[in-house]
Parts: sequence; structure tokens; C-alpha cells
Amino acid sequence: MLEQTFEALKKYDWGQDPKVLKPINDALISTREDDAARKQLEASLTAILTDNVPRAAKDFVCRKLRTIGTDHSVSALASLLADKDLSHMARYALERIPTSGAAKALRDALSNVGEAQQVGIIGSLGVRQDADSVAILGGMLESSSPLSKAAACALGAIQTAAAARALANSKHPAAIDASFCCAEALLANGKRLDALAIYSGLAGDEQPKQIRMAATRGKLACLAKK
Amino acid sequence: MGQSTTTRRRFLKTASVAVAAPYVITSTALGGDGIPPASDRIVMGGIGIGNMGRGDQGNFLGRKDVQYVAVSDVRRGVREKSKGKVDAKYKNSDCQLYNDFRELIARDDIDAVHIATPDHWHAIMVIEACRAGKDVYCQKPESRTLREGPLMVAAARRYSRVVSGGSQRVLQDYRKVVNSCWGGEMGTIKSINVNVGPLSKECNLPGSDAPDDIDWDLWLGPAPWAPYNAARCSGSFSTSGNSWRSYIDYSGGGMTDWGAHHFGGATFAIDVRELQPTEVVYEEEGGKNYLTFRYPNGKLLYHNKPGRGNLSAEGTPDETIDAKPVPTYKGTGGIYGDFIECVKTRERPFRDIELAVNTVTVAHLGIIAYTLQRSLKWDSENQQFPGDEEANRFLDRARREPWQL
Repeated sequence: MLEQTFEALKKYDWGQDPKVLKPINDALISTREDDAARKQLEASLTAILTDNVPRAAKDFVCRKLRTIGTDHSVSALASLLADKDLSHMARYALERIPTSGAAKALRDALSNVGEAQQVGIIGSLGVRQDADSVAILGGMLESSSPLSKAAACALGAIQTAAAARALANSKHPAAIDASFCCAEALLANGKRLDALAIYSGLAGDEQPKQIRMAATRGKLACLAKK
Repeated sequence: MGQSTTTRRRFLKTASVAVAAPYVITSTALGGDGIPPASDRIVMGGIGIGNMGRGDQGNFLGRKDVQYVAVSDVRRGVREKSKGKVDAKYKNSDCQLYNDFRELIARDDIDAVHIATPDHWHAIMVIEACRAGKDVYCQKPESRTLREGPLMVAAARRYSRVVSGGSQRVLQDYRKVVNSCWGGEMGTIKSINVNVGPLSKECNLPGSDAPDDIDWDLWLGPAPWAPYNAARCSGSFSTSGNSWRSYIDYSGGGMTDWGAHHFGGATFAIDVRELQPTEVVYEEEGGKNYLTFRYPNGKLLYHNKPGRGNLSAEGTPDETIDAKPVPTYKGTGGIYGDFIECVKTRERPFRDIELAVNTVTVAHLGIIAYTLQRSLKWDSENQQFPGDEEANRFLDRARREPWQL
């Protein structure tokens, strides 16, 4: 039954009834306690990614690998990151695969894809709070606007002390909110002086009212008694 | 609030830039006849003026303490129709139109925005608006993923913004059950049931050329690319396949759409609005699956429990406890008046974003439990399914470039 469904998947295109793929959806659940069957399912799905099949078929596969993908499917997914049509769906899976291999694949792809796809990958690294990408992202803060904005937002999501340091000298407006995110995380982790330094740097008269208010509130929180 | 002369100056300045003709201070700007002067009005814009947005706009536009100045929608026809409504109200042609919401949010004369786009846009827009110093009224369901909720709350708190969720039914439609539960006559409330559905599904509708009227790429925004189809982006309230509310990429289906109302009313009735469940139990009775959400204070919220009616609460009938005052709206004019009043006073609105996020979190947790067909533990403090790698994959979904939270 599943073999027939995979044959149908190879021809799956926009406009076809998704019910034809229901056995694959069912298998995502039924193989949960069966390692061998789960590995076979992942392998069968991954194989589709390198076949000459409609975009809708690969879209479907990426959605399923978001749920069951492992390092075994990372390479095939990563090969799609440079594809302007499929890069996002490759990230749809890779962003949620919780392995260091998936994170490395995203980092490694940054130097091999176009700017639009770089922006997407940067966002995914941020969502993953990938501390290993801080140096790379910090180096992008002074690049073209889409990249620097994406890098700033990602560093704000990563929220480590290193991310905060990388943001400290950025002039991009997105670095302000990202710095607040880092300061809040530092304060929550008891690093009051580090957080206070960030807030103090954002409290200047040149900032819009809502920024000054946020910085002032942050400073007060840093100075409050425990 | 600090509207006062600052707002007036900003409003007048923008108005003079926005139109080519010399700006004339009209009697409307000066107030009178029960209309506050412009300096005391909240300057608003609307983003997403389809079915729900049109209704929201009408409510804000009808208020004397609101000056409505701008509209953003990715459909040209919707924008222009909306402008006609605004301009007719003010008897001028000042309402400015934007295809891209970021241009509207960037206007520094606008104090507040209302958002009624499809759900997959809500978090990005709310957070961007907060960063820009705007107060926000956002239609329900406020988030599309679990990860989005706390980020929206954080942005609102970081920038001291008033952010209201959008269910008017939580207070207005379920008043009877709320009053019964809070009134003490039902004793200690133990549980309540919500009947709502269905879940959204994957969409594989055929594609066609997008009409010139719509910016299809911007409609999709952070959602996966898909070919245009009129049913895919229809704002119909149906969840049976002919609307964006039917499909996973844009909505949680009835579970989040009507769920925002029903779960909002239920959690209000049993007074757990400020909490999130610690556990979702996937259960079966008579061949039918249903959910039990357990709250840290022991109260139970059922979803589709066989034999239980919608919003039916269970108490301890032999016990009578003291009544508690029921929270309600501030100001006048229902949920819209509540929002505007809070924009003025800087209080938190009845559907403060944190409470609204707690409601939609119930729906998201339920969707994941039904999808995985099993029970889940939920750590609300860390916003994780503890030790549950499979479920944690459902906390969020990758956004299409260039969109980030």
C-alpha cells in the first residue's frame, strides 16, 4: 500500500486530492515505535527529494520530514537550500530537526546560496538559537540591508552574551530590538551589569520615545533589588 | 496618555504632507459638537480590511475619539473600497492607502493599528507595530504557532504597548455561564467543556494566474509558496475548504478560529485566563477522541467530550461560595471601546495580549495532541514539551524569506 502511495507521490501536483497521500500521513504515526519502519519511511521520503518530481511532491516531503527527519535526510534537504523555489521548504524541515547536523548544514549553506536564501537561512539559525553561528552572523551586520537586518534579528533570537556583543556596534535599526532581546535574556540569567550596559546604550535622547521608555524600564529592572 | 499636543502636531504635519492642496484646519479638526479636537483623538490605521477588518474598521471609524487615516491591504479593490468608506465619513479624501503594511506602520503620526489579516501574518505585524511604538488591536486567533505568542507578549511589554486580542464573544456571548461560575451558586468550578472544530488541513488546490488586483506574494508572506487559488485566500468564515481558514499554512481551522471564542469564554468562566495547561490528555470514549486540558490549579477543560454541551461547566452543587466581581470592559463601545480607553489610560485591555495568547495556546496544544494522537506535557514557563522531541518540532514553523519574527 505504502509503495503505491509513494508512486502516487512522484506524480503529485497542485490540484490533486491530498487524500491519495493519507497512507504516508498515517505511517508518520504508526511507525513511531518501530525504528526500522521509521527509518525506511524517512529514506523513502528523502529519495523523492532527489527525483525529478513536481514541486508539490517535494513540498509535501519537506512537511513530513519536519516531523520525522533526522541526520539521514539532512544532506538531501540541504541540497535544496540554494534552490529559490524549494529553499524555504527545505528549511521548513531543517529548522525543526533538532540535531547539530541540521544546524551545521544551515550554517554551511550560507556561503553557497543567493542573498534571498541567505536571509531565510539566517532566520532559521536564529529560531534554532544556534550559538555556533554568532560569529558568522556578526560578520554580516555591516553587509547589505536585507542580510544585516536578518542577522540582527537572528542574534536577538540567539540571546547569548556573545550575540549581545556582536550587536553592540551595529547601526542597523533592527539591532535595537535585538539588543533588547539579549538584554532581557542576560537579566533573566542574572547578568545585571551586562544587561545594564545594553540598556544604558539605548537610552539616549536620539532614540524614539518607545525605545527610550524600554531602555529606562530595563535599567530600572537591572537596578531593582533582587 | 501622552496623546495631547504631540499627537496633534504629528497628525497635522502628516495631513499636510499627505495631500497636495494646502491644509485647512476644519471644524472637524478643531472639535466641537461632541467631537473631541484632533489632539484628543487616537490616530488609527487598519491592516487587512476584508471580512473581519471591515467590521473592525466600522467600529473604530464610528468613534468620535478616533481619527482614521490609513488603510493597508494587499487587494487593491479592498483598499479603494475601504478608502471610500473612510473619506465619506470625514467628507475629505485624506485616507492614505498602502499595499505593504510596513509603510503604514512606519508613519509616525499613527498611534494605533487594527490588524485583521489571515492568521499567519498576525505575529509579524503585531511585533513590528510594537517596535514602531503603535498600540494594536489584533483579531483572533492572535498567533499561528506556539512560539509566536510569547514573542508578541514580550514585544508589547518591552515597548509598553496596549495590545488587545480580538474576541468580542468572550465577554458578550458567554456572560451567562461566566456569571454563573463567578457568582458562586455553582460552588467550586471543576471543569468546563468546549465543542469546536475542525482542525485545518493541508491545501493542494489547483493554481491559476493571480488577478492584477492582489499582491499574491505579499498575501502569502511567511507562509509556504503556493499557486494562487481564489478559495485558498477567500476570507469566508467557512472552514470546509473554500477559505484560508480551512488550511494549515494560514489557520488552525475551527479549532483556533471559533476556538479563540469558545476557549476564551471557557477559560474566563473557570477563571484560568492567566494560566496555561500543564498537560493535554488524549482520550477516547465510545470510539470518539477528545481532549482533557489540566490546569495547575486542578481545573479541567475538555474539548469535544462526549455527552457534554458547549460551555457546560461542572461545579459542586451542594456548595455555595462567595461571588467574585466579574472583570469587564473599560470605556464605552464594547471591545473596541475597551481598547481605545486603554490606549488613552495605558491600562491593560480586557483581552490583553497575554490573556489572548493563553487562550490560543490551548487551541495550538490541542491541534498538536490530535495531530500526534497522544497526550502531551506542557511546560508553560519554558514554552516547551519537556523531553518530547517530536512534539517540540511543532512549536513553530519556518517562515518564508525574508520574513522573521
